[in-house]
Amino acid sequence: CSEYQKVLKSDDAGKKYALAEELYNQAIVENSKSTFRKALRVLEQIVPQYRGKPQGEKLSFLYADTYYQLGDNQIAGYQFERFVASYPKSDKAEEASFKSAKSYFADSPRFDLDQAETVKAIGELQKYIDKYPNGEFLDQANQYVAELRVKLEKKAYEIAKQYHHTENYKSAIVAFNNFITEYPGSPFREAAFYYRFDSAYELAINSYEVLMQERLNTAKGFYTNYKKYYPEGSEYYEQIQANYQDLESRLQNF
Amino acid sequence: GSKYTIGKIEVTGTVSYNEQTVIAFTGLKSGDEIFIPGDKISKVLKKLWDLGLFSDINFYVTNIEGNVADLELEIQEVPELAEVRIQGIKKKATQEELIKENSLTPGSKVTENLTTTTKNYIENKYKKDGYFNTKVVINTTSIVDTTGTNKVNMVVNVDRGEKVKVSNIEFIGNEELSDAKLKGAMSNTKEKNFFRVWKRSKFNYDDFEADKEKVVNKYKENGYRDARIVSDTLIINDPKTVALQLQVEEGSKHYIGNIDFIGNVVYSDDLLTRALGINKGDVYNGVLLEKRISDQSKPDSQDIANLYKNNGYLFAQINTVETKVYNDTIDFEIRIVEGKEAYFNKISVVGNTKTKDHVIYRELRTKPGQKYSQENVVRTIREIGQLGFFDAENVAPNFLNVDPNSGTLDMEYAVVEAGASQIELQGGYGGGGFIGTLGLSFNNFSIAGIFDKDAYQPIPMGDGQKLSLRAQASIYYQTYSLSFVEPWLGGKKPKSLSTSFSYTRQFLYDPIRGKADKSQSFDILGVNVGLAKRLQWPDDYFTLSQSVGFQRYDLNNYNTQLFTFGDGFSNNLTYTLGLSRNSKGINPIFPTVGSEFNFIAKFTPPYSLWNGTDYNDLENQREFQLEDDNGNLLNSDGLRLRPGDEPVGDQSKIDQEKFKWLEFYKIKFDAAWYTTLFNLGPKGPLVLKTGIEYGFLGAYNNDRGIPPFERFYLGGNGMGSYSLDGRESIALRGYPDQSLVPLDRTSFSQASNPDGATIYNKYSLELRYPITLKPAASIYGLMFIEGGASYDNFRDFNPFQLNRSAGAGLRIFMPQFGLLGIDFGYGFDPVPGASSPNGWETHFIIGQQF
Repeated sequence: CSEYQKVLKSDDAGKKYALAEELYNQAIVENSKSTFRKALRVLEQIVPQYRGKPQGEKLSFLYADTYYQLGDNQIAGYQFERFVASYPKSDKAEEASFKSAKSYFADSPRFDLDQAETVKAIGELQKYIDKYPNGEFLDQANQYVAELRVKLEKKAYEIAKQYHHTENYKSAIVAFNNFITEYPGSPFREAAFYYRFDSAYELAINSYEVLMQERLNTAKGFYTNYKKYYPEGSEYYEQIQANYQDLESRLQNF
Repeated sequence: GSKYTIGKIEVTGTVSYNEQTVIAFTGLKSGDEIFIPGDKISKVLKKLWDLGLFSDINFYVTNIEGNVADLELEIQEVPELAEVRIQGIKKKATQEELIKENSLTPGSKVTENLTTTTKNYIENKYKKDGYFNTKVVINTTSIVDTTGTNKVNMVVNVDRGEKVKVSNIEFIGNEELSDAKLKGAMSNTKEKNFFRVWKRSKFNYDDFEADKEKVVNKYKENGYRDARIVSDTLIINDPKTVALQLQVEEGSKHYIGNIDFIGNVVYSDDLLTRALGINKGDVYNGVLLEKRISDQSKPDSQDIANLYKNNGYLFAQINTVETKVYNDTIDFEIRIVEGKEAYFNKISVVGNTKTKDHVIYRELRTKPGQKYSQENVVRTIREIGQLGFFDAENVAPNFLNVDPNSGTLDMEYAVVEAGASQIELQGGYGGGGFIGTLGLSFNNFSIAGIFDKDAYQPIPMGDGQKLSLRAQASIYYQTYSLSFVEPWLGGKKPKSLSTSFSYTRQFLYDPIRGKADKSQSFDILGVNVGLAKRLQWPDDYFTLSQSVGFQRYDLNNYNTQLFTFGDGFSNNLTYTLGLSRNSKGINPIFPTVGSEFNFIAKFTPPYSLWNGTDYNDLENQREFQLEDDNGNLLNSDGLRLRPGDEPVGDQSKIDQEKFKWLEFYKIKFDAAWYTTLFNLGPKGPLVLKTGIEYGFLGAYNNDRGIPPFERFYLGGNGMGSYSLDGRESIALRGYPDQSLVPLDRTSFSQASNPDGATIYNKYSLELRYPITLKPAASIYGLMFIEGGASYDNFRDFNPFQLNRSAGAGLRIFMPQFGLLGIDFGYGFDPVPGASSPNGWETHFIIGQQF
């Protein structure tokens, strides 16, 4: 029976506290997951016992950080959040606040799945940014927020594009309209302008004669809009020009 | 208040907590500045209360010197629960259930609230079950604990008394409606009656209140608009029975007068009158009138509110007003505020933690910019449920940002992922040796994810593709199969691509040596590619499918009953056309409404039309005649041909010629209807499934005949047992598997006994009742009667000559295992060849549905 096992089974909270701290420090130095796991087993036992006592603050931090180091983002995020709520004046509060947000950030799934974690992460990162405007991790936090925003933009963009792809052009126009108003600085903005035009164009040329003129004019409006923001155009320039020529020639018929 | 600096903090009244711990909880420190009285103190009090550890908390200022205040915090700790004993309930399991339901776990805090809620909970629980006189008394006694914690033991005395039944229900004042009619209207309060087995009499106060309402509604349905219950009396006869006395005042019978619609612009008066279906002169029926205008119990009913809601008028308000009552006639005005048409703006899905957006969004029937339609919302929920990736009972449509001014709303569909993969891993002894099976079925696979290492969690998922792999091996055979389905090829339209591949190799098994003879083998290779497309016409529940399949059978010195030759091959190239309509909903495991039709036609090319072979004449051709090893012709006795003898055909050579490329066509039709008969309580409805099936296998060329492949085998659980010949097992419970050969077969028939039939029909009625429809496991019970028969040709076909059966069973669906079931069926008719009814059979069902 090893020393570790003995302490683990004993009732002596003080010994456990010392052991947990020792294991944690050792794990940080060695960067060893197995040592973190050992530390966690001790921590799990004593964290509830020390709640409300002076050692509780340090212990809660170690506990959260152990999960963080082990990559268990969901629990780490929650534990750090709890730490910040319980000890807002702690020296470690800034670090905890950032690590909490970073854990949620790491938990954010790919863009085409439910984005509850992404929204949560943006909220937590924003909380950090607001609270520590000169904080140590400010640049990183800003970078993460930007990354997550792009993810949400990509989600909305791809959903709108799917309406275009499945030939639900009316829905695509509504969805791209929403996208353009909601995400003004998005990297997908030009594409959104292009697809909005293209949806309107496809809708127009496939409609009954009586509706065509009005719809062609709507499409033309979207083209003008595209040109206003992207006079040079880039990726979509040639496609849009080709369709626009066709549109103009069709309008001649009315 | 004024500002003070905290001096000393003293904690009194504590029992088990360290003084410092309590102070740390408060967050106050000596030296802090606070206002007394002030916000901070209240916050601390609230924080302490929220812990739920104390039954009393008081703050006192004990001393003030200058601006330094000493505080005293007096707390009364709540005792902890040590032991619970429940008296008056004999069953251990019930006792534990009560403890669990009230969270009476050791260590929980015994507050006043806990004892009161426990008492009420238990009393109500038994009252609901008809123990009207249930009394619960809870006693607590303090005990001394070694650690000094304040603990109590709890004794819960439950006195259920006798089950109270209703001996008699008496109505006073009813002249127009009979006692029986009124008693019938009360659905849960019943007089005790020996013969009513389904619903025994019991008295429950809440049910009684609801039933009184129903009595009044019964009157309203019959024109008695003003009917009411003047008084009701509960008479306690003895501890076991009560009598009920209800005094009613009927009022007079009313009739419908003029009905005017006001405010309707979109729909004409005429159309609305027709939709309402209630005319001047009809007996006043308040319940029906309400239902025809807006039926709250059915979201998809054909009422006037839905007429508006299905066409964009989400904000329509409809009020019925009685404008005039004269004699026995009532005039109505139906006032409609149509409001603006509503359009969907944003449509979103949340909760999809595995399934990718594009897989769900393409199924949604509500799209941005579309006019609001309640029908489409209901249909969307059905489509999401049918995907099988989510818990079908838990798809929630949330209306967001509903804005009557701009006429827009956002829809959010909240889904809960359910397991969609099944694993089958088996090992066992059978057929003389070890048989191992590994089956994997991923119903929400992502083939694009197989090259993405992040997608392995633990397998790539979320593109809605289906991948199944199966391998089975024993010492004498191996079989491998793989299939893949992409439901939306290209993502543009619901066009599904399915491909499958299978390979089986079997060696002759030598039971004496317990080994496989590798020199004798039988290989089957199968490939199938199909495309299915959802149609827009006649409606979009229709699917058209086409597929091409190829099977090759290779025999190497291997004699089976299928072939008369032991060396040779056979190819089967088929084209299948299917048309189906599926509108069953919502839960694919337990449909409660809708129907399903399938029409399938399967063809091989008609080779005999162009290959010029006269199959009737083969025996007269030299190359198909019986000969010995040296190439000499033989006669029917197997001897060298002598002058005057006729040469005879070699059956195995003729068959090889006939089966080189199989030639047949096959037509099948089946239909199933699902009807909800009753809604029995909160668990779910009683559903009737009605089903019919027909199948026909035919030949283009009668000389060539119908091959022994692809035939129908009726009887048993209908699961495709290990078969080589593309046979179709048709389920017919109450009979042994594949036992029902055509009744008209005699020993003189051409068809040999184990051959399958070429025609069959089947009819079934099944009652289903759900026991639970939780996502972890759906369970339902069923009772069935069915009948079916098979035939060799149309001359014998008689749709009424059936092998009949009846029985009951149970189905369990768990996402990890698929469907499991057991049925007990009684066959009323003898299986062919036997003389007495077949009797009871037990069927096990795995992974398929009846």
